[in-house]
Amino acid sequence: MQPNFDFNKIIEQLKYIPEDPLIFSTSLFLILFFFFLVIYNLLAKNTSLRLIFLIIFSFYFYYKSSGYYAAIIIISATINYLFGKWIASANKFSIKRFYLFLSLIINLGILSYFKYTNFIIQIINDICKSEIPSLDIFLPIGISFYTFKSLNYIFDIYLDTLKPTNSFRDFCVYVFFFPNILAGPIDRASDFLPQIEREPYVSKEDLGKAIFLIILGLFKKVVIADYISINFVDRVFDFPLRYTGLENLLAIYGYVLQIYCDFSGYSDMAIGVALLFGFKLMENFNYPFKATSVANFWRRWHISLSKWLLDYLFRPLQMKYRNLRVYGNIIGIFITFIICGIWHGAGWNYIYWGIMHGFMMSFSILIQKPKTKFLTLTRLNNTKLLTVIQTIITFHLIALSFMIFRSSELQTVFDMLSQIFTFFHGEVLIQFIERMPIIFGLIVVGYIFHFLPSKLENKIIDFVTNIPFIGKVLLLVIAIWIAAQFKTADIQPFIYFQF
Amino acid sequence: MISPELKQVILKQLNLDDFDIKDETTAPEVPGWDSLNHINIILAIEEHFKVKFKSYELLRLKNVGDLQKLLDSKLGK
Repeated sequence: MQPNFDFNKIIEQLKYIPEDPLIFSTSLFLILFFFFLVIYNLLAKNTSLRLIFLIIFSFYFYYKSSGYYAAIIIISATINYLFGKWIASANKFSIKRFYLFLSLIINLGILSYFKYTNFIIQIINDICKSEIPSLDIFLPIGISFYTFKSLNYIFDIYLDTLKPTNSFRDFCVYVFFFPNILAGPIDRASDFLPQIEREPYVSKEDLGKAIFLIILGLFKKVVIADYISINFVDRVFDFPLRYTGLENLLAIYGYVLQIYCDFSGYSDMAIGVALLFGFKLMENFNYPFKATSVANFWRRWHISLSKWLLDYLFRPLQMKYRNLRVYGNIIGIFITFIICGIWHGAGWNYIYWGIMHGFMMSFSILIQKPKTKFLTLTRLNNTKLLTVIQTIITFHLIALSFMIFRSSELQTVFDMLSQIFTFFHGEVLIQFIERMPIIFGLIVVGYIFHFLPSKLENKIIDFVTNIPFIGKVLLLVIAIWIAAQFKTADIQPFIYFQF
Repeated sequence: MISPELKQVILKQLNLDDFDIKDETTAPEVPGWDSLNHINIILAIEEHFKVKFKSYELLRLKNVGDLQKLLDSKLGK
């Protein structure tokens, strides 16, 4: 019997397929990554070959998601490498500043063209009642992430806190690096560049942590996020008036868990994958729903972006307007969060989301003094009760903001709230659990795991670290098998890819 | 080395009786010195020492030692 082996089919699979990016949870990635690891380790002693191989593999990874538009990343890397050199070598501050502005215009110009042109056309049409047709513009995946990564390099050189690299090869490794090119973390050049030329070394602890993070990420993405989005959350958000208030509320809780598992799961996998060949990426999430205030939430959610915005947008604005004292902070916060919203997508929902966060943060600054007085008077300060109350309030404010984030029409938000407040029908809960036990179970388990003490995570990492190598492989295989059982026919793209 | 005068201005602004501030101390290590309060500390230093910093100079600071050096340069020390 002839083996059923079609070489052309394999070649087709390896080419760019628009609806099939090379994300970590696909079997093609797992196969390619296995070969990558083998070759990368064979080249470990030869720095040049190893890094060139890493660049080629990273570029191929990006080509699989963006096709010929992957060329943009080469242009972006070349431009930013040159600007880094020019800014560092400029002997006058005014020239440094000129190069900085030029690089900002080019970087943000490219980003804006691909991401915001049609949104701007839509706004012009709405205001002027004109009918300018939309342009057929392809949005290259991850463009917001690698643009911000490159800008971090430029800003740090401008501020004289980083020396530019003399190696275009090393800079390409930084910009192209496949684990974080599509959805972050937005790593700092100052942390990443020194790691590039070190001979790859993966300690026992690193290996244990990497396996743990990959398994955790797979579980979060495939088992929780994909499953609850396709089978429950999307349906309610699409037609909220068809469901009771209880189902709407559960869909909101489900969406908040989904977006967290989707995005942090991807980050976990990115950090784990990079660790497997000796690179340490920055932490991106730290139990965000344990936050006791919105400000605290932003120190725990998408940390690499919030730190970027803090360092390169909020702080300069804050310093510029510092004579306005508290209002200087408020101006800085509002502008930062509006930009944060726009960064997430070309739509009014993202801008409203940003405004809401700006408003919540500003409000908390304005009431800080009376709030402290009140808490001292009532002796609630530093009590567990206060922590619980603050956590619950913060979580629901964040959930409300994510409702806006998820809904392209504000009407959806109003409809969902109206169902919750006027058509709740709590008695439906029993039926819901009977009809959708897996969905309900995943939401409950997801939140329980989130609120468990973080020490538990370290204990699990220690356990994975200390089991023999064959046991680690077995664990990974079991996790992939479980993920495969949950995988739906069509994988949902990562929510954060479009940003 | 951090001057007692600078240390006093910082501690007063943060309502702290005492805290061991060294050259390598960074803002998040000092209780109350968060990104929002930073504005008040910088303004307090500018007012106390009658100096004016440029935004660019402030954004480069990595720790209190850098702040002391910047202040010294403004005071002509």
